[in-house]
Amino acid sequence: MTTSRFYPLLRLDALNSFVVLAIALFSALTIIYSLKFIKEKRLQYYTYIILTAFASIGVVLANNLILLLVFWGFLGLTLYLLVSMGQGSTDAAKKTLIIVGGSDALMLLGVAIIYFLTDTFYLDAIRLEFNSSLAVISYICIALACFAKAGAIPLHTWIPDAAKSAPAPVAAFLPASLDKLLGIYLLARLNLDLFTMNTAMNTFLMVIGAVTIITAVMMALVQHNLKRLLGYHAVSQVGYMVLGIGTGNPIGIAGGIFHMLNHAVYKSCLFFTAGNIEYRAKTSELDELGGLAKLMPVTYISCLVASFSISGVPPFNGFFSKWMIYQGLVTQLQSADYRIQAINILCLAAAMFGSGLTLASFMKLIHAAFLGQPNNALIRRSLQGGHKDEVPFSMWLPPLILAVICVVFGVFAYQIPLRVFIFPAVPGVDFIGTWFAGLSTLLIASGLVLGLFIFRSRGLGSFIRQDAAFMGCEPEDLDKHRITGIEFYNTIKEYGILKGIYQKAESGVYDIYEQVKKVLSGAGRFLQYLHNGVLPSYLIWALLGMIGLFLILMKG
Amino acid sequence: MKLLLSYLIFPGFLFSACIGLFAGWVDRKVTARIQYRVGPPWYQNFMDIVKLLHKEIIIPEGARLTFLFAPFLGLLSVVLMSTILGRSLNIYASGFSGDLIVIVYLLVMPAIAMIIGASSSENPLASIGASREIKAVLAYELPFILSIIAIIVKSGGSIRIGSILNHQAFAGSNIASFSGALAFIVVLFSIQAKLCFVPFDASEAEQELMAGTLIEYSGLPLAMFKLTKAILLYALPVFLIVLFMGKDISPIFLIGKYILILVSIILIKNTNPRLRIDQTLRFFWGPMAVLAVLALGLTLFGL
Repeated sequence: MTTSRFYPLLRLDALNSFVVLAIALFSALTIIYSLKFIKEKRLQYYTYIILTAFASIGVVLANNLILLLVFWGFLGLTLYLLVSMGQGSTDAAKKTLIIVGGSDALMLLGVAIIYFLTDTFYLDAIRLEFNSSLAVISYICIALACFAKAGAIPLHTWIPDAAKSAPAPVAAFLPASLDKLLGIYLLARLNLDLFTMNTAMNTFLMVIGAVTIITAVMMALVQHNLKRLLGYHAVSQVGYMVLGIGTGNPIGIAGGIFHMLNHAVYKSCLFFTAGNIEYRAKTSELDELGGLAKLMPVTYISCLVASFSISGVPPFNGFFSKWMIYQGLVTQLQSADYRIQAINILCLAAAMFGSGLTLASFMKLIHAAFLGQPNNALIRRSLQGGHKDEVPFSMWLPPLILAVICVVFGVFAYQIPLRVFIFPAVPGVDFIGTWFAGLSTLLIASGLVLGLFIFRSRGLGSFIRQDAAFMGCEPEDLDKHRITGIEFYNTIKEYGILKGIYQKAESGVYDIYEQVKKVLSGAGRFLQYLHNGVLPSYLIWALLGMIGLFLILMKG
Repeated sequence: MKLLLSYLIFPGFLFSACIGLFAGWVDRKVTARIQYRVGPPWYQNFMDIVKLLHKEIIIPEGARLTFLFAPFLGLLSVVLMSTILGRSLNIYASGFSGDLIVIVYLLVMPAIAMIIGASSSENPLASIGASREIKAVLAYELPFILSIIAIIVKSGGSIRIGSILNHQAFAGSNIASFSGALAFIVVLFSIQAKLCFVPFDASEAEQELMAGTLIEYSGLPLAMFKLTKAILLYALPVFLIVLFMGKDISPIFLIGKYILILVSIILIKNTNPRLRIDQTLRFFWGPMAVLAVLALGLTLFGL
């Protein structure tokens, strides 16, 4: 492929070719989805979407650091414009622009240092060792830019806000899929090609990954807004990718990259279904939803599959990539140094428990939005509107396609995604375990078929009767006894030390953006105090300054 | 075909269900003896299942597919789990590597099935049961995973059941070391909670929630949940034996150890009052997690 006309500037290899494919797929699905969803400012919207897709492909193909930087910066701009198209999203868009744009500056610094060290901008010519502090700084700068884009701790805070207030297809397109693909792609490129990783750097990545997994998912547990909840999960899953890449052995890295691909699939699917819910119910607050499974069966099934997938339930795709990451961690356990071992163990525990927490939070989502007791007002409204069935065709098709991909990538993981996409990109993957996903699924499916067969043949169908649900000898009153599901985890919120942490987290103590804002506005207030607009005080300042100046000059 | 047979008959569905139902009888009998009652005859649990199969299936209004699908999901995944477990117990080499993690994940499935089924029934009591169930899952999963990792480290970083057994055959049972004993205690309690037995049965509390998660189930779906529970009652203690007492697993020893664990689970069940769900959370994230971390620390020093 090096014979291409564009060669020194653009380059296509095993690592970026499937990312380009994925970007194209998600762009197409987002555009299909938006046909019905976006009603205002269509021209601007589609222009931004197409520009974003173009610039993303540019980032992935770029073989020149300057070119990459330009595309990367351009993406920050389109991200800002797209997020600000949501209603009341000015603050979130500003936050996004400041965090992502600020990290672009870090990346510029990193690129400059790399040029200083190697005298070249071409990615395939760079190969750095961590032998000087400058190399370390440049790596950390670019890695931080990746973290901000993909949304790892500590630069993740724009994602939940942007996810909540941006239009749903935008949330599905950028924070959920493209930004993850780009951020993690660049991180993988750094680790595989640009730098020779050492143990300390890998450990740094692993710790960041593990912390991201746990903190973000703990925040997701207590959210009340559907899209914000999904936003926190978008952060938490980045932790798995960073953790996988941080293990530094081929299977872990392959797992991390595979998880990136899987995450883009199921998270876009989830945001699309969230959009469907918003479209129907006109709200994304969980306590106003309920019982939508009846109204929107296709959306429900897609959402269920994607939820299982993100929680790592076998045999869906999320399980497979998480399992590869665990294998990467377990391989590291054979290391001789007991400190490395201890860190590995902690990361393994964080990763495994994190997926339990993810599952819990999605059970809450499924209960609150699709099952549970229906919100009578909502059901009534949608019955009155005369559209008690599914959302339009162009809106349920994209999530359904993605849900099917979730199943296919999980069941035929070896045959399709790993063999075609991942193994060429990461040389030397050595499985210490093989999980016959296809076979197990076959067994489960045959069991299901057999069960249904017995069910039919005995004519049990006639035994089924529907009846009202009773409570205390009376038919239940849903308006009075409704359990919305948002209070599921209040026990955890009240648990010992977590209580204080949650309170602080909700008031933004752990949000870098809020802290920096506080410092800046403090400084601003001081300056404001000085500029009080009273002429005599300005004169006094001028006089004092002159005296000071004189004193210095007299001395000289 | 052979695989399908092993999935459906031995050591899969039929075998594990029979053993599990029989163990269920042991549970009822011992409980009865502790309470100075006579207890049911040995075939009582089998009769219960057969009876349930003949009953009418009543579905609450509004719920349909998910409500009927959930018991299938739970049953099929525990059957898969017990097949994997049984096969790797039979011939060490037949398990695939990484089966330990698959089993750990499949063990969560019955709880998920229970939660989805309960929430689709639209009954507020079932919703409360579901919320307690998922909180219990969160509670016991943390110390459970930590202890499993302790075992992985002890066996030299292996996540294959066959090689964990092999390792124990040479180096002695895991329970015979300090860290192993601590982890064993933790996993024993986690199993108690996974089986939804007193003191961790807040999600099915008969007195306050009227069986909570199961409240709307009847007939065949209820029988499937009962079978799921029965298979878990067989598979979980065996899993415990494999992880902790795997030095000698010839049939006689296996049965002896199984009965030992079964009886201790039943004794815990019968001598404790039910915990509130926040107490359960506190118990597992407090003392149990500390014990598990301690066990992990000790394994690092090879104790």
